[in-house]
Amino acid sequence: MSGVSARLERIGASVLAAGRVMRELGQVALATVAGVIPGSRTGGGGQRNRGEIARQLHAIGNRSLLFVVVTLGFIGMVMTYQACLQLGRVTGDYSQVGSQLLRLVVSDFGPTLTALMLATRVGAGIAAEIGSMKVTEQLDALRMSGVLPINYLITPRFVASLVMTLALTLVGSTVMFAAGGLTAQYSFGVNPSTFYDVAQVRPRHLVMLVVKALAFGAAIPIVAGFCGLRARGSSEGVGWATTAAVIGSSFAVIILDFVISAAALGLTGGDL
Amino acid sequence: MTFLEWRGVGKTFGDKAVLIGMDLAVARGEVLFVIGTSGVGKSVTIKLLVGLLRADAGEIHFDGRRIDQLDEAALSPIRRRIGMVFQSATLFDSMTLAENVALPLRKHQRMSHAAALVEARTRLAQVYMAEHADRYPAELSDGMKKRAAIARTLALAPEVVLFDEPTTGLDPISARRIDRLIRELADSLGVTCVVVSHDLTSVFAIADRVAFLYRGAVHALGTPAELRASPDPILQQFLAGRSSGPLETPGF
Repeated sequence: MSGVSARLERIGASVLAAGRVMRELGQVALATVAGVIPGSRTGGGGQRNRGEIARQLHAIGNRSLLFVVVTLGFIGMVMTYQACLQLGRVTGDYSQVGSQLLRLVVSDFGPTLTALMLATRVGAGIAAEIGSMKVTEQLDALRMSGVLPINYLITPRFVASLVMTLALTLVGSTVMFAAGGLTAQYSFGVNPSTFYDVAQVRPRHLVMLVVKALAFGAAIPIVAGFCGLRARGSSEGVGWATTAAVIGSSFAVIILDFVISAAALGLTGGDL
Repeated sequence: MTFLEWRGVGKTFGDKAVLIGMDLAVARGEVLFVIGTSGVGKSVTIKLLVGLLRADAGEIHFDGRRIDQLDEAALSPIRRRIGMVFQSATLFDSMTLAENVALPLRKHQRMSHAAALVEARTRLAQVYMAEHADRYPAELSDGMKKRAAIARTLALAPEVVLFDEPTTGLDPISARRIDRLIRELADSLGVTCVVVSHDLTSVFAIADRVAFLYRGAVHALGTPAELRASPDPILQQFLAGRSSGPLETPGF
């Protein structure tokens, strides 16, 4: 009986700890968003913030471009190849491959795969940078200098990530679809005019792409920055924060993908 | 007159109680050293004063006002009056030295970027770092970084400066120069200095009073001469640096 009670106590403690972490994450998210609003107590970073946003746009967007394009291009080729292979065995009709791939890319795979790539590359970088500043007391020095670390470090990355996740999603999705089209054409002889059929894409699919890209773009720097802020100790703590950032931001992307897709299904009555 | 005061302050990390009902008072213009073994709570004591850590129990007063319950925004004017020099210099890697020193001027004193940079160069010149103003911290030695960090802290002309092991990692000449700077701050400008240190040469050279922390509280307090003359075996073991004796050093 005492064993059951101890186990329940441990479960309860874990639930409470998880609740505390979620509350702190929520506070970081609120403070980050408040930092964007001019005139708010934490907002209005001025010239330095604008310069930092420009630097982050380059770091998050330009430096991730090749990584995202290559990855999504290959995934587009593999998906198309597998789809054509299976269809060839069953019906031999490839006429719907392009239009269905495009629907899938626009409403789900484009933003989700782009964000998962960014979660690994950008999320790790954000957590490592903020985590090392935390363990070397640079964040305390910022506070002593009259600067709120969240406003100074996470908010510019948040703004840059919103813009660049959307931009990279558009580029990545285009490359994914185009790479799929080339694969279908050269491996299975599918006519490009049949494959590149955009008629099946409806405005609601594009809305989903934008909503998902923005939600993922917001989640990655907040989760990664939060992990960096929680770094403890020395280099081991920074390593832990970096790992937690990659896992946490990837997990956030997948959960948000599910929530937004479910909400879209509910709002459209299943007509997606 | 008491300028800084810790009253019955307690601080626990996990299941480890670092400070247990600690009392300490510092007068205006005084140079007070806080000494003790590693992990005894010296750095915690000064971080509690400026709200970088929160006390679990007790009260902290500055210039007659209780400050331990203030939120981050309310602490900003306090941090303008109390500066802190961190143990590892903590210059911001992505900024030049001039930008590092300019940052608190821009944020606390609302100076323009250009005016703050001009003022920063003047402050760096005072610690003989003017020619390095446009260099990044990674390009400098530890001693140079420490001097730049001191310039950043002094840029706001604080009434109190907290030094966290200011001479650790420095060569003896640089260490004595830092000592002289601390003494001059108190003598010439009336700045109150609280110095956390293991460097007994500094303690006996420039301290007005010394607080010896042990088991979460101030175990001994007095002038350097009084501490030297104290018959307390724990204090004497620490001052003599003997590895065996009654002084407990948990974890080592």
